[in-house]
Amino acid sequence: MSRLDRTRTSAHQLRPFFSSQNLLNRADGSAQFDFGGSSVLCSVVGPAEVKIRQEKLDKATIEVIARPLVGLPGVADKARERSIQETLEPLILSSLHPRTLVQIVVQTMKDDGCILSTAFNATILALLDAGIPLQSILGSVTCMIDSETNEILLDPTTEELARSKSTHVFVFDNKTSIAGSANKDQAKDQDQDQDSLEGAILYSDSTGIFTENEYFECAHAGFKAAQAVHGFIRTAVQKKLEKEYQQTQA
Amino acid sequence: MTALESTSPSLAATSPAFTFSASTFQKLHPTEFFRKFASQGVRPDGRLLNAFRPTTVHYGVITTANGSAMVRIGGTTVVCGVKAEVAEPKLHTPDHGYFVPNVDLSPICSGAFRPGPPSAQAQVVSESIDRVLKESKVLDLKDLCIEEGKAVWALWVDVVCVSYDGNIYDAALTAVMAALANVRIRKPTYDEGVVKVSGAEDMNDDNSFKLKLARTPLSATFALFDTSLTVLADPNDSEESICDGSISVTLDEHGQLCAVSKVGAGSSSQSLLKQCIDRTRERATELRAIMSQQQQ
Repeated sequence: MSRLDRTRTSAHQLRPFFSSQNLLNRADGSAQFDFGGSSVLCSVVGPAEVKIRQEKLDKATIEVIARPLVGLPGVADKARERSIQETLEPLILSSLHPRTLVQIVVQTMKDDGCILSTAFNATILALLDAGIPLQSILGSVTCMIDSETNEILLDPTTEELARSKSTHVFVFDNKTSIAGSANKDQAKDQDQDQDSLEGAILYSDSTGIFTENEYFECAHAGFKAAQAVHGFIRTAVQKKLEKEYQQTQA
Repeated sequence: MTALESTSPSLAATSPAFTFSASTFQKLHPTEFFRKFASQGVRPDGRLLNAFRPTTVHYGVITTANGSAMVRIGGTTVVCGVKAEVAEPKLHTPDHGYFVPNVDLSPICSGAFRPGPPSAQAQVVSESIDRVLKESKVLDLKDLCIEEGKAVWALWVDVVCVSYDGNIYDAALTAVMAALANVRIRKPTYDEGVVKVSGAEDMNDDNSFKLKLARTPLSATFALFDTSLTVLADPNDSEESICDGSISVTLDEHGQLCAVSKVGAGSSSQSLLKQCIDRTRERATELRAIMSQQQQ
């Protein structure tokens, strides 16, 4: 049962979250999100003027730029940009700001595994901070299957990832989870039915060698953990708004 | 075309001032045009929603390469060549060779691509292929070692798209796997810092070796159309341009999954993913049959 990451006792335990919004002066919105030793800073500028080449007549153009911890962006960063961009496109109500640009810059600050998940969570906080209209909120969690114990580990560190048989990144939006939590009281004994209903997957990226069952088990574990992330994002926004309200009163 | 003709009279009846031919309609409202077909369970090119395009695989199309293959999936044609080169190993892995997959989407294959550095799409496809090959341990890189710390084989796996009509990931991955299965490298001799590779006589089992592939991952891609998330197997270029998201499933010959990715579009239920995985199993079996048929 013990993990390589000594700070955690159970396989399904996530590292402590940390977030901070409105860090950057000149961006319209910004946020930092940490999963333990992994940290990503994200800035959002928009709606802003768009280059004619990128202009879309009926909606806003969404551009994502991913910057690595050190050196110049490589092919892996391009793939990360694409993932974030294509996931956000249906989420952002981009038809409200046609012919504009929403530019999102994702900068890795510390890397200890699960950077894509951290980046997703930082991005959504930054979008909320910038006041970009959104359809729903996303929450992302990474999990892996240990090659020695065949156990599903959530939110693995770099050290743990070195021993992985397969890694899975999941993103869930909060629409399906709201429906789930509202019915929770009436439908406690219908848990089995809910298992099949819950966890509509917004983004999924898995590599390694794994079976179909393992994949859906990971999706299930990821979905449960994503609820914690959603809860955290909610609290973070609530705290920020309370603070802003107090400042306007003072 | 029958599906459209049956709907066009009603279109004419509601707005007689705006009647136009099917091809004009397709250009003006590609999504609506496609929706009319999808609602009838067919696609404009005559396929059913879950049908793949005819696929062919040819081995050894480039004689100067160590291994090569050409794959056609409908209108998409890709050629993959593998060139083995003697190189110095990387410092932290002195007994590992390496392979570098690269996908080239040049203006030769479609007007949508510009000359210059590789486009974002080409980079994303290269990266996914690289990740599938590495994470599911297709090759044992120690097999590519000539002399530890001194010399290893570097495999340059180059995929060139000759004609682009959608679903480049499936075509490229199939071509890479076929080309790797086709690779034959001359046995080298290492002697006091000099690697000698004889080149005169014909290659046979004594003076050359083939790569040992631990598994052969093959993939199937599905596009997600509309908010209803209608699943379209093996999307072509025009279908890709009107779809927001896609699901790709990669399987090896033992039925183990090597990669699953779902990008874009709205949230999809897990049963939809299950459905795609099941369809991929059928497709992968067909594809393996095509590949082994050609190999003989």
